[in-house]
Amino acid sequence: MIRSEFRKLTTVRGPWLLLAAGPLLVVAGITGLVESGGNVHDPGTQRAALAHTGLAAAFTLIFGILAVAGEYRHSTITDTYLSSPRRGHVIGSKLAVYALTGAVAGLVYSGVALATTAAWWAERGGHLQLSAAGTWLTLAGGVAVNAAFAAIGVGLGALIRNPAAAIAAALAWLAVIEGIAGQLLGSSRARWLPFYASEALGRSNLQATARLLPQWGGGLMLLAYAAVFAAAAVFTTLRRDVT
Amino acid sequence: MVAIEVCGLTKTFGRVTAVRDVSFTAPAGLITGLLGPNGSGKTTTLRIVLGLVRASAGEALIGGVRYAALARPRRVVGAMLESTGFHPGRRARDHLRVLAAADGIPERRVDEVLDLAGLTAAARRPVRQFSLGMRQRLGLAAAMLGDPQVLVLDEPANGLDPGGMAWLRSTLRDLAAQGRTIVVSSHELGEVTRTVDHVVIVSAGELRFAGPLSDIGPTHTALESAFLSLTH
Repeated sequence: MIRSEFRKLTTVRGPWLLLAAGPLLVVAGITGLVESGGNVHDPGTQRAALAHTGLAAAFTLIFGILAVAGEYRHSTITDTYLSSPRRGHVIGSKLAVYALTGAVAGLVYSGVALATTAAWWAERGGHLQLSAAGTWLTLAGGVAVNAAFAAIGVGLGALIRNPAAAIAAALAWLAVIEGIAGQLLGSSRARWLPFYASEALGRSNLQATARLLPQWGGGLMLLAYAAVFAAAAVFTTLRRDVT
Repeated sequence: MVAIEVCGLTKTFGRVTAVRDVSFTAPAGLITGLLGPNGSGKTTTLRIVLGLVRASAGEALIGGVRYAALARPRRVVGAMLESTGFHPGRRARDHLRVLAAADGIPERRVDEVLDLAGLTAAARRPVRQFSLGMRQRLGLAAAMLGDPQVLVLDEPANGLDPGGMAWLRSTLRDLAAQGRTIVVSSHELGEVTRTVDHVVIVSAGELRFAGPLSDIGPTHTALESAFLSLTH
C-alpha cells in the first residue's frame, strides 16, 4: 500500500506544483520582513525570518487534504478500496507517505529559508548566527510543522471528502476562525488550538504576548490533532458506502 | 474454481429499498449475466459483493468468504465498475502500476494486461485523452491485473464500438474457458445471448429469475420476451 501511495504521487504533477509554491512564499515572506524594516542585527528578526519554514505549511496542509479528498473527487477511491478493503489501513498508509513527503518538503523550505536569510543578512551587513541553538530549533520545528500539517490534512480530507470544502474549511480556520476562537478561550486555553500549537513548534510566534506551549508540546498537540482527525474519519465518513 | 453466492441480500438507502432479499449463485467457471432495467439494483448488488457498499441484511460470498476477508483481493477478484475513476493526468500505464504496487503484482504483468486490452500503443498517454471505449478497456485491464479467478464487470459493454464489443465477447469467452467465474451486468440483451451461460434477472430490487440461459431459450427474442414479462 505504501508503494502504491508513493506511485500515486509520483505519477501526477498537481501535488508537486502545489508543494513548489512553498519556496515562493518563504522567499517573499523573508524579503517582506527585511524590506519592511526588520533589523538584521536582532536575533529575534533572524528567528522570525527562518520561521517562514513553518508558515509554508499552509501548502503541505492542502497537499495532505488532497490525499483522500482528491481520490473521492476523481473516483479513484473505488479502486483503492478494492485493493485494500480495510479502509483504516488505507488511511494509515496515506498518513505515513504524506507525513514523510511533508517532512521532505519542509526540509527543502528550511534550506530555502536559510539561503534567503543568509543572502539578505549579507546584503544588509548583518551577521547570521548559525551557531545559536535557536537557529536549528526553528528550522527543525518548521520541518516538523510541515510533516504534521500534511498528516492533519490527510485526516481532514478524509473527514470532509469534498476537496473544495475541505480546503475552504482549513484556510478559513487558519485565517479567521482560530483567531476568534483564541480570543474567546483566552490565551491560556488558546495555546492548545492547532495554529497556536504550530506557532509553538515552528517558533513563528508573531504576537510576543501570547503564551504558547513549549516547542515539543506544540509538536505533540499537532500529532494528537492528526490522530484525532484520522480516527474520526475512519469511524465516520470512510465507513460510508462508495456509490 | 470459485463461485459467488448472494444470500438474502437487502440494501436500503434511507427510505428507498434498492435491493430486497435477493439470492442467487454465479456458478464457478461460467459467465453469469446480471440483467435488469436501469435502477433495478444491479450495480448496488455488485458493489455489495465487492465490499464497497454494506448490506442492510444478508451477505455476499466469494468462494465462501466476504470480499473484505480476502487477503489479496485483486488476485482473487477483478472488478470493473461504472464509477471507477481515473486521474485525468495520470498515464494509462501508471494507473495500472499504482494498482499493481498495492498488491505486489510485477510490472511485467502491467504490460501483459495492456496488451490484452489492446492499449499498448496508448499506454503512455494520460487518461484525459482517452475515449469512453478506451477507458472501458483500461478498466478491464485493471480488473485482469491480478490474474483473478473471478471477474465482476458492471456494464462493460458501455461505450464500446462494434469492434470493441466483439473483442469483449471473445475476451470473456476465453477467460471463462480458462475456468474463471464471470459476472457481468448488462441491459443489452442481444449482447447477453451471445455471451452468457447463466442468467439472473432483477427488477425493482427483487429477484425475478436465476438459472441457465437455456431454460429461457437461446434466442434474443426468447430472452427479450422473458425479460419484459419478468420485469414488467
